[in-house]
Parts: sequence; C-alpha cells; structure tokens
Amino acid sequence: MLILSLFWLFVGLLIGALANAAKLRPAAWVRGGRLGMLGLGALAALLGGWLGTWLFGTLFATATAIWVAVLVVALLPRLITKCNAWLHSRTAVP
Amino acid sequence: MDDYQPSTRQGIDPGSPGAKPKRTLRLGQRAAQAALAFLLCAGCFLSLFPWGRAWTRSTLLLPAVISASEPAPLTLAGDSVRFRRITLSSVTGPGFLDIYEPTTPPPPIPGGREAIIVVVGAGDNRDVPQLVNLLQAFAHEGIVVVNVGTPMLFQYKVSARDGEAVVQAFELLEHWPGVDPHHIGIITFSVGDEMACVGAADPRIRDRVAFLGMLGGYVDVSSLLRTVGRRAQEIDGQTQPWHPISTDLYTLASSVSSLLSPTENKLLQKAFPLNNIAPPLTVQQQAQLSPGTAAFYHLLEGDEPGSVDRNLSALSPQMKALLVQLSPMSVIDQIRAPIHLLHDRNDQSIPFTQAQEFAVALARLHHPYDFAAYGIFSHVQVRSNPDMAQLLSDGTKLIQTLNSILLVGS
Repeated sequence: MLILSLFWLFVGLLIGALANAAKLRPAAWVRGGRLGMLGLGALAALLGGWLGTWLFGTLFATATAIWVAVLVVALLPRLITKCNAWLHSRTAVP
Repeated sequence: MDDYQPSTRQGIDPGSPGAKPKRTLRLGQRAAQAALAFLLCAGCFLSLFPWGRAWTRSTLLLPAVISASEPAPLTLAGDSVRFRRITLSSVTGPGFLDIYEPTTPPPPIPGGREAIIVVVGAGDNRDVPQLVNLLQAFAHEGIVVVNVGTPMLFQYKVSARDGEAVVQAFELLEHWPGVDPHHIGIITFSVGDEMACVGAADPRIRDRVAFLGMLGGYVDVSSLLRTVGRRAQEIDGQTQPWHPISTDLYTLASSVSSLLSPTENKLLQKAFPLNNIAPPLTVQQQAQLSPGTAAFYHLLEGDEPGSVDRNLSALSPQMKALLVQLSPMSVIDQIRAPIHLLHDRNDQSIPFTQAQEFAVALARLHHPYDFAAYGIFSHVQVRSNPDMAQLLSDGTKLIQTLNSILLVGS
C-alpha cells in the first residue's frame, strides 16, 4: 500500500500541475498558489486512493484517486473563494 | 473560467507581436483543461461503472493470460492471494479443489465477489505454471477461483460422473465467505468441458451458473473419432490434414477402458501410450480384439481413413452409448448459462471443427453464446513468441471474452 500511496501522491502532483496549466487556480491565491494547487492535487489523490480502496478494492483505487483529485482541484478552490467572499461580505455588513 | 486567470494580459491587439504568446498560452490552457476532463471521465468510468470495472480487470488480466508471468501492475494493485487445497467427498468419489482467494474482505461495491470454477483437461495439471499464474491473476483481481480435479481426470479418463464434483464445488462456493452466489461461473479447458457441461446442466445448479467459458473443448466424441480416424478435418468446405497428439489417443483409449476386457485394455494401452507414439499392433495382436474394439482401434490408429464410417458403425452398442454419454452434445440443451467458445484454428489436440460443431448446435438451440477463433494458442496454452500481428488481433478478441466473463462480478 505504501508504493500505491506514493504513486497516488505522484499522480495528484501531476493533476495539480495540470490544474495550474488549466488556470483553475483562483485569482486570490497569489502567494504560494501554484504550490498550493500541487499539494491539493496530491492530498486529494491520496484520499481518493484510500476511498477507492475501501469502496471498490485496490484494483480500482487509482482510477478513483484520479477522478477525486480532478474534481477537488477543479471545485475546491472555487468553493473556498466563494466561501471567503461570503464571509467577507458578512463581516462587512454593520 | 475567466475570473480564475490571475495574470492574463487583457486588451492586446490580435495583430500585435504580443498576440502569439497569448494564443499559445490559451492553447496550453485548453489542452490542460481537456486533459483534466479526460482524466475525470476515464477515472469515473473505470471505477464507478460495472463495464468500466470489467474493462479495468480485463486489461490487467490479459497480459497474465497471454504470458506465463503476472504483470507488475496487477501484482502491485491487486489483492494478496491465499491458497488452500481441500478434498470433497461424494457418492461418485473425491473431488480435489485448489482454491485461490483474495485475503481481504470484499469491498462494499459491488458487494460479493465473483467466483470461477476451473476444470482443466486430462491429467493432473494443478501445478502447471501457466495455469497457476492464471488462477493467481484471477485471485489478485478479487475473484475466488477453484480448480476442480478428480481421480478419473488425473488418470486421463473422461467421465460424465465427474460432473458431480463441479456441482459440489458450485454449492460450496455459494456458501463461501464473501462470494456472491449469483456470480459463479465455470471455465473449462480441453476435455474438462465434459464434466463442466454435465455439472452446468445439473438441475440443482443450472439456473444459477452465470457463464460457461470453454477453451479448446470438444462437443461430440463420435465426430471427434471421425476426424481422428480420417486424420483430416473439413473447415469451410476444405479438407485439411489433422494429426492427433498421443495424449488424445491415450485419453480416448482410457475413457472407454471400463468396457474392454483386460487383454484389450493391455493391447490398447500398448498401442497408445501417454506422451509417446508406439508402433501399430501386429495382425496377431489385432486378432485378439473383439470386432467392436478392433473398429475402435482402427479409428484411433488412423490406418483405415477410408473406412471411418464403417468402423464407427461397428462399435459395440455399449461403446456407442458411452460415447454419447461422454459428449457435451448430450446435455447442452439442459444448460442455461451463456457459453463462450474459444478455440485455436490449428489446435492439434482437439480439432477446430469441434468448436464449430458446438457453435452450430448452440445456434440451433437459440442458446446465448459467442465463438472466437484464435491463432495464439497451442491447444490451451499460449504459444511461445507468438506473431505480434496475431497477438494484437487475438488480444482484442480475448479482451472481449474476458470482459463478458468479468462483467458478471463487476
């Protein structure tokens, strides 16, 4: 499982790099944003791989790691940005 | 997407020198987006959908089928395997089961595991490396595999009574921890198809057998004897020479031994030894055989290719009845499971025409089946160093069959 986990981390890094190239990084993530996307991809792939192992078995864990990582790098930054904007708008209201 | 571009330069005239890098940037961005979309779709398909999971399994299993070693990705990503050997006793005699199973509990999706009963041809083949490799590969994929053998089969004797061992193995697997009782199929090699068909046709289990896959099997002993006697087979209207190997003749002679006298048995064993070609019996030795046994001898020896029909007619009524009993043809109308027929065109052990006859019989019965002809097998084992074009062509067909078999438990 250790080798598989390392493989998922590597796949996640690649997906994070692709997300950077696809400009999925929010405009607000200026400082360390690129690295953040890489880390997010790696972490999502690792979690996706373990989720896939539990749900479908190790044979399908890598495929699960891939789609979970893509979904996370595509949606999570957008969600975080929207949440931040919403929180700011709430605190701005007197 | 535009609000997600932190550093794109806006307002550049398309005709200006700055337009080209921007176009390249956009192209790279689109390519990355397309790659992510592709990965998302592929990942979802291969893990969330049964067809995708079956395709993943087939792709990983194919190298194990066409080579004598397990592919590294399967060893790395597959389940670890536990082996155990058990013996079942029944009224027809013992059944020897070699069980290869994953050590981990079945995952929540799809729930229970698929199980496959494997019946290998004549002889004790339990430790043949290519077979062990295949069974382990199945188990790495999360499938419980049981290789069934019987004393009769180990002695190169085909017997319809051995179908009981398949039924017993099936009923054992139905209650095996982690196995989905609706996802149990049977795969047979060579003459193992007789006991597999008898088992799959048994009223106790026939409605629950998920599939029957046969590689290099036969369907009718009489027509097999006709091909053996003529030393020729007719494919698509063309007569081609065909010479059986010594194992075929030994198995055929052994399978009817219960009907022969001790002297006749001794003479036939002398004429058709295992793994060896012996000289023909002398005229004096042939004179010791009964007319029916002499006819059988000439069919196996192939020394009267023009009198094959006469020799078939001259067989004793008991032997004719036994040949019918030993033919899967006699039970195929009672089988309910879909059948996958696989046969090598140049099979030197069981002629290709047997698979063609099997397919015709199934079509006549409107029984669900598929039939694929191959060129990479040497009877039931993959040839060493097959032609690359042949490998690609046969690999495509093989992956389709594997897909059908693995879809059951995906």
